[in-house]
Amino acid sequence: MDAQAAADRRRKLDAVLADLRRECGPSLRVLAVAAERRAYETDALTSHRVLPGLVLLPADRSQVAPIVRACLRHGVPYVARGAGTGLSGGALPTESGVVIALAKLNRILDVDPDRMVAVVEPGATNLSISAAVAGYGLYYAPDPSSQVVCTIGGNVAENSGGAHCLKYGFTSHHVLAVETVLPDGSTVVLGSDDIEAPCYDAPGYDLRGVFVGAEGTCGVATRIAVRLLRKPEVVRTLVADFPDVPSACETVSAVIAAGIVPAAIEMMDNLAIRACEDAVHAGYDREAAASLIIELDGPGEECAELFEQVSALCSEHACTRLRIAADDAERAAIWAGRKAAFAAMGRLSPEFLLQDGVVPRTRLAEALAGIADLSSAAGLRVANVFHAGDGNLHPLVLYRESDGEGPAAEALAAAIAELCVALGGSLSGEHGIGVDKACSMPKMFSPADLTAMDRLRAAFDPSGLCNPNKVFPTPALCGEARGGAYQPHPLEETGKIQRW
Amino acid sequence: MVGASSSSASTPGGHSSGGHSSGGGSSAGQNSSADGTPTFEASSSPRSITPTTVKDLRDAVTTNGPVLIRGTGTATTWGAPVRDARTTVSLAGMDRVLDYRPADMTVHVQGGIRLDVLQEELAEHGQWLPYDPARSEATIGGLLATGDAGPRRMAYGSLRELVIGATMVFPDGAIAKSGGHVIKNVAGYDLAKLCHGSLGTLGVVVELVLRVHPLPQASRTVMARDVDTATAQRLTWALTKSAVEPTAVEWCEPEQVLAVRFDGTADGAAARAASARSMLTGSLAELDAGEAHSFWESHAARVVAEPGDTVLRAATRPGVDPALVGALSAWADRAGVKALLTCSPATGAYTVRITGADAKAHAEVVKNWRASVEAVGGFVMLRRRRPGVDAMVESWGRAPGSVEVMRRVKANFDPENRFAPGRFAPWF
Repeated sequence: MDAQAAADRRRKLDAVLADLRRECGPSLRVLAVAAERRAYETDALTSHRVLPGLVLLPADRSQVAPIVRACLRHGVPYVARGAGTGLSGGALPTESGVVIALAKLNRILDVDPDRMVAVVEPGATNLSISAAVAGYGLYYAPDPSSQVVCTIGGNVAENSGGAHCLKYGFTSHHVLAVETVLPDGSTVVLGSDDIEAPCYDAPGYDLRGVFVGAEGTCGVATRIAVRLLRKPEVVRTLVADFPDVPSACETVSAVIAAGIVPAAIEMMDNLAIRACEDAVHAGYDREAAASLIIELDGPGEECAELFEQVSALCSEHACTRLRIAADDAERAAIWAGRKAAFAAMGRLSPEFLLQDGVVPRTRLAEALAGIADLSSAAGLRVANVFHAGDGNLHPLVLYRESDGEGPAAEALAAAIAELCVALGGSLSGEHGIGVDKACSMPKMFSPADLTAMDRLRAAFDPSGLCNPNKVFPTPALCGEARGGAYQPHPLEETGKIQRW
Repeated sequence: MVGASSSSASTPGGHSSGGHSSGGGSSAGQNSSADGTPTFEASSSPRSITPTTVKDLRDAVTTNGPVLIRGTGTATTWGAPVRDARTTVSLAGMDRVLDYRPADMTVHVQGGIRLDVLQEELAEHGQWLPYDPARSEATIGGLLATGDAGPRRMAYGSLRELVIGATMVFPDGAIAKSGGHVIKNVAGYDLAKLCHGSLGTLGVVVELVLRVHPLPQASRTVMARDVDTATAQRLTWALTKSAVEPTAVEWCEPEQVLAVRFDGTADGAAARAASARSMLTGSLAELDAGEAHSFWESHAARVVAEPGDTVLRAATRPGVDPALVGALSAWADRAGVKALLTCSPATGAYTVRITGADAKAHAEVVKNWRASVEAVGGFVMLRRRRPGVDAMVESWGRAPGSVEVMRRVKANFDPENRFAPGRFAPWF
């Protein structure tokens, strides 16, 4: 970087800091030393790293607006960050920019068990919401696999899903209102005005709907009102093994065709089954070509009736073994195996790339055959573990960096994402576009589509300082060499989080 | 093919359902509404265009003066009256199913398809869009633009939760899409949500991809009479916290009827309805299929008013607030009007139909009750009004805190204010 430009950026950051010391006082924690800032240079897309110029940890949500205003005043880009578990680089800092780390704003502020609403701070973890309301027989439905540590603010930014969104929908369906510091420094509630008494309806444009899933580009959430659901009366879970992948795919279609909406339908291919079984000993059949985990929940009698139907459909589709969880412990073991899938890949390969493409459910078999073809053409193995019910694939491209396979793996991963789009699907089902897939956006959206989206972004952020260079392809982003090896997030290595 | 005529009924290539009657009595130049809306028809050179392709629609909206987008015309009076729209662009010629994939449970339609027509087609495959607004004859595009919802919203969500992809034509002629054909998708911004509630002020929703669901095998309705407001609220909380999983809970005033609906398997819905009966109080009845059908039909009709009525929509936090209900009847009594209230307590939505007396009386009730609703963090908008009401009360109340963002959105997409100008007056 040009020395003059560097000095200029430094000066701006100093000005931001001076303003904030005055406005927020000593309770605003500031990480200015490089070694401290280093911890914030990446999220869970560890192949991208940018050292931020300044990391600020508000002690109180009232400090967020002064931070945004100071950044605006001095022209400094900023990004809000929760636990840093995002898989698409959505929380990647800008060089010499500010990171607003919201981890301290982690309180559950209010629970209204009658109205089934909770108001929480953005740094509250996903699971802490369910934990806080469990005593009322309620829970917060979206369940990304990192829910032990990922924050609701990050979930809002990414419109996170999880294994059960086939039936229960995404973050967007469960957020009633978001108090937001807009990029102009003002604080408003998107959704109905009173965040403490959130309404389902709000007049005018659905800005809350736009904000959820905008990947942090439209402002910084400071309070979030979420809907809670009543815990289902009954949950039933089975594992069905199949002699080949198409049979498993046909079973998924048959269940859906029978008019059943399971809480979750997950699928694993043989490579994934073996890795998971070796890692967790969940009782999977290592010889099965494919396995489905199907979970139903709801009122007792109906759940039992539909579960019978699902079991019968599995048998009709060449299922070689049907294992029904006898109790909660067995169900937990089945899910533990599934959730360990990504961590277990280390047994198969030192490195892997994770994709998040989606295809229409009826094209799953075609997509998997296409992935197998691409995989053999590239001479690299691909393991498949995915949300079959909604067609959300998570192919894992296995490779060895030390053998120089990195570029081929990158090319294969990109080809798989493009295959999903070509089959009428999407680049991302739940991980977001971030920096990771921004350069692929033109494969899915026309210039007119992207222009319309950018127009919307500009209505929220005319300054372009709020989490810049995300979602949309830019020359700066897409001209550069991309990618690199998957490296596990530190929390993943310690077993605190899993990836799906 | 653009038919620039004043009668635009059926269209070549259209889905010949025979049910499209948007032409009759609704064409531009004819002030069909006796509800007092000083409408676009008042302008000097009214013109109605019924394009049949996206390209023709784009040409129509870019080359003509201020534009009013029209579906079947069931909500032309919602929000504030539109000023000076010299051209009505009707979606009646864009009413087809483009791609229905029952096995994927997605359907791709044009914005001008009527909800009831679509539901019939889906029902042939044992599916439906779990969405039951009162205006079943409205178009899907219009229902998205009006942000309308029905009783089953508490279980299935609103249209905003069911639209997975959309193509829009913006005032500058840009044709843009967001989302796609898959039910799980986070790529890019969600422009369909932006259009939810936009009342035709941002763009024309020309195509939508919807997530459909299996039709429930059975639906049961239990009704309790003599349920006062406080009891209605208490029973709603009890029902939603129990395992009976109602798909709709509705309460009506002055009838004081609480109706609870269950969808599911034949045995399951019956069992849950039976459990619910044990929780309810008052005089109970379980309706047979025919009774239930006519109850829900008449329930929908309650909020679709006669000319001369004023209809309000209010939203508050979930519940049916005894103070608000009391305030409404007090203001109605004082003004000498009848107020018919329909409430979805689980989602805090209220629809009020005011009949009788004169415009001044209607305006008084709107003004006073709006103050009560706004005091508890809610809002009240006008869906239709008795002639003369507009001169005395605004269609929208206190502006939301985010109104400045809405203004910027509007300015970025429609800098010349050509789409439904005035719809959000006095806000923008």
